[in-house]
Amino acid sequence: MTQTIDISSYSAITDAIRNEARRILSDSTVSAVIGYTAGRRKGSTQPIVITTADDADQLIFSAACLNDLVVYLTKAKKDVPKGGRIGIVVKGCDLKALVGLLGESQLKRENLYLIGIPCSGVLGSLLKPAAELTTETIASKCCECTDQLPVGCDFVPTVTPTPLPDLEKRYANEIARLEAMNPSERWEFWKEQFSKCIKCYACRQVCPFCFCEQCLCDRNRPQMVEQTPRPLGNTAWHLMRAMHLAGRCAGCGECERVCPMDIPLNLLNRKMAKELKELFNSEAGFEVREAGPLTSYREDDDQSFIR
Amino acid sequence: MHSEKPKHDFEPKIIAFVCTWCTYAGADLAGTSRMQYPSNVRVLKFPCTGRIDPVFILKAFQQGADGILVSGCHPGDCHYIAGNYHARRRFAVFRKLLEFIGVDLNRIQFSWVSAAEGGKWVEVVTDLTERVRAMGPMVEFKDLVLEEQWSGNLNNPELQAVYEAM
Repeated sequence: MTQTIDISSYSAITDAIRNEARRILSDSTVSAVIGYTAGRRKGSTQPIVITTADDADQLIFSAACLNDLVVYLTKAKKDVPKGGRIGIVVKGCDLKALVGLLGESQLKRENLYLIGIPCSGVLGSLLKPAAELTTETIASKCCECTDQLPVGCDFVPTVTPTPLPDLEKRYANEIARLEAMNPSERWEFWKEQFSKCIKCYACRQVCPFCFCEQCLCDRNRPQMVEQTPRPLGNTAWHLMRAMHLAGRCAGCGECERVCPMDIPLNLLNRKMAKELKELFNSEAGFEVREAGPLTSYREDDDQSFIR
Repeated sequence: MHSEKPKHDFEPKIIAFVCTWCTYAGADLAGTSRMQYPSNVRVLKFPCTGRIDPVFILKAFQQGADGILVSGCHPGDCHYIAGNYHARRRFAVFRKLLEFIGVDLNRIQFSWVSAAEGGKWVEVVTDLTERVRAMGPMVEFKDLVLEEQWSGNLNNPELQAVYEAM
């Protein structure tokens, strides 16, 4: 049954972000603030970098604020002004990505001013940005969200997020459905999904963790992953991507959202997260970890699969 | 005197990724000890199991491997102290990924074979070869190679409209 989700708190959040951005820009705490602003289509939003206190009124927060802005802090994106502290608006899921980058020494906490959002959920897509936030239109990642209130931010508006109603756990259900299949059925499923891929690399562009100067799949001596958009290389690319994100992915779900061919990319990431939780009791959180699960080890790790 | 070699309909290709310090030396010991093991296995030598990237395994499957063996030093014996511990975690996760994608995990074997275990090397290789032989060729990735063209539907309405307009 479709049920509307109360997002009346978002206008209070918008006011609070604006005031805070105005304050930190005018007293030079930060040199820039990365946030959301209204997009051209009614109800849509887009990322914005503001550098003066006068621009603070452009900032908004709404159910259409889907982007994970943390990607603009990585070295893969060089258009954000360097030097000085940078303010950034983060939802809980985005903050987990940011914390992951802190753990990988990509960012320094003292160079950041975090404006956390007590998030009540966002839309699944921007195809209808003005749509009402309901149990149908809510993003899949929000259905399994446990981190509506970000932890460890410099500023969080004093608003209580709407507790999410009991939502269908879309990823968990889909993973369970696939796991119940036999291998050849699963192969058929993924073959069909991967064959849709056009190798636009939008998933790579939007991922906060894909910051390598040169991606392994762009190297051609030796060529590890076939680069043309054909089934063989597509499969290799998506497996490689899932493997490189295993133990790092924070579950912001941006890869899946930007995919023009609607490949369920976050499903692979969620499956990997589930396995890492089971195998090594490791999951993305708000606490900075010095080493991720695949860059550390324990001598008594399970080796029942090794002969 | 050579023992009579049985004839099989299908000879699988097994790619073995081994570490140079333990398993390669173990395989070498099996050879110098004149132990017999299937010639289906192609040994690729790496500095350490920690160097074996999951994409190597994908690449091997793409190039026609029917089975994969990854083998290195026993835990605690790594020449580089912890390479095999890292590899152990990586492959624990990677095999879960392959399973989820729909690859039969019986085609992939991980093992620890030390430089003194020529016998274990023979055992591991023989078991894997016979198991993969019984399973038949790995067709999944080969099918992908055969589908090496744009995989979109060629008779979709948009393209049809373009054809008709021409």
